[in-house]
Parts: sequence; C-alpha cells; structure tokens
Amino acid sequence: MSLSGDPGAQRAATVGEEPAVFRLRNVTKHFGGVTAVEEVGFDLRPGEVHALVGENGAGKSTLMKMVHGLYRPDEGMLEVGGEVVEFSSPRDAETAGIAMIPQELDLFPELSVTENLFVGRPRPRTGWGGLDRNAMRAEARRRLSSLGVDLDVTTTVKRLSAANQQIVAIARALVGEAQAVVMDEPTASLTERETQQLFGIISDLTSGGVGVVYISHRLEEVFAISDRITVLRDGHHITTAPTSELDAEELVRLMVGRPLHELFTRSASSPGEVTLEVRGLSRAGEFEDVDLVVRRGEIVGLSGLVGAGRSELAQSIFGIHSPEAGEIRIDGDGVRIRSPQAAMEQGIFYVPEERRSQGLILPFSIKNNITLSILDRISRFGFVPRGERQTADRFARELSIRGAKVSDPVNRLSGGNQQKVVLAKSLAREPQILLLDEPTRGIDVGAKSEIYRLIDDLAKEGKAILLISSELEEVLSMSDRIVVMREGRVTGEFARGEASQEQVMTAATGGKDRQASNGSREETSRDE
Amino acid sequence: MRPEAPALLFLAVLGAAFTLTSDRFLSATNLESILVSVAVLGTIALAVNQVILCGEIDISTGSMMGLCAVAAGAVAVSYGGLILPLLAGVGVGALAGAVNGFLVTVGRIPSIIVTLGMLYALRGVILLVTGGTWITGIPESARVLGTGSTFGIGYPVILLFVLFLIMELVSRHSTWGRNVFAVGGNRRAARFAGLPIDRVRFLAFVLVGVFVGVASVVYLGRAGSVQTNTGTGLELQAVAAVVIGGTSISGGRGSSLAALTGAVLIGVILNGLVLLGVPGIWQQAVLGALILLAVATDVLRRRLVGDKA
Repeated sequence: MSLSGDPGAQRAATVGEEPAVFRLRNVTKHFGGVTAVEEVGFDLRPGEVHALVGENGAGKSTLMKMVHGLYRPDEGMLEVGGEVVEFSSPRDAETAGIAMIPQELDLFPELSVTENLFVGRPRPRTGWGGLDRNAMRAEARRRLSSLGVDLDVTTTVKRLSAANQQIVAIARALVGEAQAVVMDEPTASLTERETQQLFGIISDLTSGGVGVVYISHRLEEVFAISDRITVLRDGHHITTAPTSELDAEELVRLMVGRPLHELFTRSASSPGEVTLEVRGLSRAGEFEDVDLVVRRGEIVGLSGLVGAGRSELAQSIFGIHSPEAGEIRIDGDGVRIRSPQAAMEQGIFYVPEERRSQGLILPFSIKNNITLSILDRISRFGFVPRGERQTADRFARELSIRGAKVSDPVNRLSGGNQQKVVLAKSLAREPQILLLDEPTRGIDVGAKSEIYRLIDDLAKEGKAILLISSELEEVLSMSDRIVVMREGRVTGEFARGEASQEQVMTAATGGKDRQASNGSREETSRDE
Repeated sequence: MRPEAPALLFLAVLGAAFTLTSDRFLSATNLESILVSVAVLGTIALAVNQVILCGEIDISTGSMMGLCAVAAGAVAVSYGGLILPLLAGVGVGALAGAVNGFLVTVGRIPSIIVTLGMLYALRGVILLVTGGTWITGIPESARVLGTGSTFGIGYPVILLFVLFLIMELVSRHSTWGRNVFAVGGNRRAARFAGLPIDRVRFLAFVLVGVFVGVASVVYLGRAGSVQTNTGTGLELQAVAAVVIGGTSISGGRGSSLAALTGAVLIGVILNGLVLLGVPGIWQQAVLGALILLAVATDVLRRRLVGDKA
C-alpha cells in the first residue's frame, strides 16, 4: 500500500468501510480540455450487483475503463483487495481478477467458440508441442456449462445468436477466476427471454461471491437485478444508494438533474385514411405472408423479439431488398419498389436502427448528413446551392440538435444528438410514411423524451408512422395500434389500451415465455 | 486539418531543400518542365482520386492509357487533326472505364480484381490490335496538346490546371462530388439514405476513362510515337500520387488538391534527384519510401483523432 500522505488519515478512512473487491477513490480523468470524470468514488462489494447509471456522456464507460486498465486516472487511485494498484493494460486488470464485457463485443466472428475462449490466453499443448484441441474443447465445454448453457463449441461465433455471443464473451471474461465483472449495456441486443437467461447467469456469479458492475440504460432491468445503484451526471458522482431506497421516478430525476413528469408524449389522435398497405408480403427466411396497414396520423408499434423479421420487413418496404411475394399499396395504388430511391419517390423513408453504421456518414459534417437525401432535390444543374446551409440550420433548430455547429463533424455530437441528425435527414425529405427502426436505442433519457415529442408531432401533422421497437414501454405508450411479429409472421394485433405487456410478450414469444420485463429479482431467481 | 496539408508541407520543405542545394531548381523553366513531366500522371491521378474517394480502386489505367494512345495515334496517322484523335482516345477510355464500372457495380466484383484483370486484358488488346509494332509518324497537328505552349507555359500544364479546377469545383460543389464522399465514407448509410451508389461509382470509373483518354493525347504529343508498352507502371504511380497527396486509401476523405499535390511531389522528387546527381537506380526506392510515409501519416492521423470508422 502507498505510504504517501498521513498514515493516520489513511487508516481512519479505511476503518468502518465495507470490504470491497475494488474501490475507486476520488478519481478524475481529462481528455484534452474535457473533464470526463471528476472526483468520483465507487466501490464494488463481493457478491453484489452494483448498477451504474447516467445519461450518455455521464462518464460511466470512462470510469469503468479506468478500473479495467484501459485508461489511467489523472488523479485519485484504484484499490483492489485493499491495495493501491496501477494498471497499465487490461491484462493487468484481468490478472488482478477484474473482467470487463464491453458494449460492443470484441469476439472474432470467423473463429470457433473454443478459439474465441482461448484467444490471447495460454492453450493446452500435447506432448509434441502442438495444440491439444481435445483439451481446449473440453475446457470450453466445462466453462460454458458452468454458466448453465450448452453450446456447440465448434461452431463459428458469427453463426450464434446475439445472446449466445454475449455468453461466449462472458465465458471469456470469466477465465482466470474473476472477482469482479463489469458489464456495459449487456442486454442492448438481447431479447426479453435472453435477458432473463443473462440474469440467471449473473445471480449464479454473485452467489459465488463475484461482484458485478451493471451499466444499463434500461431502468427496469436495473431495478430487477441490482443491490445498489450509483448515479453519475456530467462526470460527477450524484449518489450511491441501495436499490430498495430508490424508485424509477427518483432515479430518472437524479440522472437528468431535473424532474421528468412524463417521458412519453402521446396526444389524442384520430387516424385518417389508410396510406400504407401491405398484403401477403414474403421474403424467404425473413418474413412470411405479412399484412399490415398504417393510416395517416397513426403510430403503429411493431413489436417482437430481435430476429422476428421486423427490420427486414421495413427494409423491404423501403426497397433495400425487394419482397419475393405480396404487394405494397400506397394510398390504394399498387406500387413496385425496387430501390430506396423508388421508395422515397413514394414518400416512404426508413430510419435504420444502427445509427453509426447505417444512419450516418461519420466523416461528414452535421449539415452534409442532414441534406444527404435531398441533394438531388435541391441541387440545380447537378450543383449544390448555397441554400443548403439554411435548410440544415432549420432542421438543426427544429430538432434542437445541440453540442456543435452544423458545420462541425457529426462525430462530435452525443448519441442522442446524432440520432436527431439521422431523423433530421429523413424529415428533410418530407416523407408521408416513416418507418422508424428502434429510434431511441442507446440514447439518454433526455433525448428520448425529445424524440417521443417529435414522433407525436409528426403523427399530429398526419404522417403515417411505423414504430419498430423492442422496448415494451415505448410501444405501449406511443402506439395507436400494436402489431406483433414472431419468426417472420404477424402473431398479434392490439388496439391502444387493449394490450398489456404480458399479452404482447405472449404474442412475441409464442406463449412459451411469459416472463415480463418488470419481473422482480425474486421471480428471476425462482425461475432457474 | 485538411487532408492534403502534410503533403503540401512536405512539398514546401522539399522545394526549399532543393533550392538550397541546387541553383537550377528554382527557375521558371525547371518548374515548368517538372509540371510538364507530371501532366499525364496528374491528369490520371485527378480521376483515380474520385474512384479511391468512393471506396474503390482502379489499377487498370496504365494499359488503358496505352490503348487510348494506340487509338488516338492510329486515327491521327490516318486523318490528322486534333479533334478526331482526341475523340478516339476519350471514346476508347470511356468505354474501358464503363466496362470497369459495369463489372464493379452490376457484376458485384471487387474493383481491385476487375481492374487487375483489365490491366492485363487491355494490354493484350494493344498487342492484338498493333501486332506488336509501334505507331510512328504522328502528324504535328495531333501533337499540339503535348508540344504547344502559350506565354512560355506548356499546354500540358495548362490542361492539367484546368482539369484540376474543374475537379475541385465538381468535387466540392456538385451533387455527384458530395455523393462520392458519402459512398466512400459509409456505403451502407449512403444506401439507406437512398443515394444511387451504383451510379455514383460507375460514373467515377467512366471519369477515369475520359481523363485517361485526354492524358493519352498529351502523351502522344510529347512522345511522338506509341509503343506496345506505353503506360506500363502508370497505374500504380497514379494510385501512389493520390495516396501520397493525402486522400485516404480506404475512401471518404481526400481532395483533388491532394491528387495534384501528390503528382507534383513525385515530379519534384524525381527532378531533384536528377539535379543532385543521384543515380537513377535510387528513384524507385525513394518513391516507395514516400508511399509508405504517406500511408503511415494517414494511419497516424486516424489514431490521433481516434477515428475507428
């Protein structure tokens, strides 16, 4: 232990503290002139789930990257098992028993499950010095079965579901007796059922004395699984409290720093004529015989599990991949849509779910991203007119895109503001039919609320909106009608107010899994 | 930072160094002769730049220029004049570029494979068409673009700068120019935004053909004859000029000024080496080192700005 400073004071600080797997003391981290984290304290006890919450940019990931040796604190210190340590790489952290499962899984998609578990780690050898593949596979099986899953360890990782990939990442992180596991948004790409499976694994870990840091935007999960909650806002430590002492409203208030009366905005609506009509639409392996109707001024929520074919359906309507059978009608007329350009001509616009890889040209300025889809409309003789700037300014203002000038790179914006740019791009085209694919995924509560208000305004203007969302609350609160898909087929349709979370989940899962998202921790553990 | 800034800085430093070490470097005639020597390369690099910006590559330009020169030369010998040979060169170039573009967009074959195949195929066509003989006796009228000058500035230089200005204008202010950056910056997002990504890329390949056609007539004028190996090695020099100038080899970032700067830089280095009496056998090694340096600069820049895209 470091002997710098007054030993008496040090002891005083240690006395009366709970034993911790690791403890951050007053850590500060700057990037250039920006302070990402300022004098934050955080500790993880053995066997607890400690949720770390806050809006995007609050400093959650930065804080945990200091624990995992990716960043070094500028001020303050990290203790592991009561000793002050300095990690210079994630490998140091892993040696000290701290594992991290990053938000974007760093698996090798082309390698087998077994290979992924052994990447960067010593492999068993045969007497001849070659790799002992049987021993590797046996070890891989043993590790996966200790997580309660049964996977074929010889399959390549890219063929696994998102949930199973997550499990492989956990299995990899847990190699070498981790005492602490940091999970950054682990359920972002998981379905409800898979989330429950993950919760089971987490509770196995904690009952074995492992501490888990759980970073998530999904508050119901945080309440379902955590023992304590730490809230960060703008790089500052706001509070750490037992989960039982907080409720959702209070937590949101602490996160956004202002009272949030209502997250969702949905005015009374009176949908008009049918504008988008889909009959018997099919595409092999993606969706089959889908009927769907969206009226002017109506928000239709499209619910279902990841992989149910919702995105594929919307992309087909938008002309990315043409449907193989069935027809699409716009205002009663049958249309053929073979390309996104053709869909845009029909007044349809699709807002993709992957903001960074599908929605934005990252090297472009905010302005160039906003006007991307209208250049052919506003240009004269093939050249971009000066009025482009005003158009971009107008949309940046209408959608309150904050944090940078429109001439700055779009990269400079926070996730929520980047999402507003993606929406601005589609609205600039003045579509009559909007297909929104997970429009609030991975963005902070404040930006979410703004986007809900925007969607509501668009419906009021008479636009037809198909809202694809995996968040039940969002679908239930925003939609006039809810359509549920499962394995490529429509399995349920509910009018506003008619549907409960349970009913929607039953339609989405086929009734085999009725575990709703707001299950408490007790229910979760009883389920195993 | 602008993409071509490191190359421009390097050009300035190098120019100063050559000025100090050789009293012949900084003379109007020497500078003009450098520019004349890189006019063909620079013209082609300006177009290849657009292909690289939209995330593709074209390594067929060496043979393509040979074939354009054969066409232009044959027409010049038969009919004389400037316009007909120019049309022949540009026409053949545009056709070859269209084949490249078609195979890449409709055929969905990676551009490196398509243009590598075309590099050999077009050289084969040259041999078949000419039977292995040179085209000589090009009339003066058809050589004007290579040999003519006004106010002491050669036509090749004037042509290069006119094409550069046009490309700057098109690249910065036209819809197609903007779309080239979008397609190279993120092809999927460009597709989801409803951009005609196939048309954008197809036109870039055709543009290369057109510019190669123009360059072939400049070459014809300067050389006065066409050999079966005309243009050999030019395909990689053009790519090198683009990358050295600061356009990212992975697309989406760069400028026409970068392509021009890269071509001029190559010319200055070759010229400076000659003036300093460095043996010609060093040229390739120096150019190679320069390419590696340019790519390293690009990689370093990405690390510094933390750009993972």
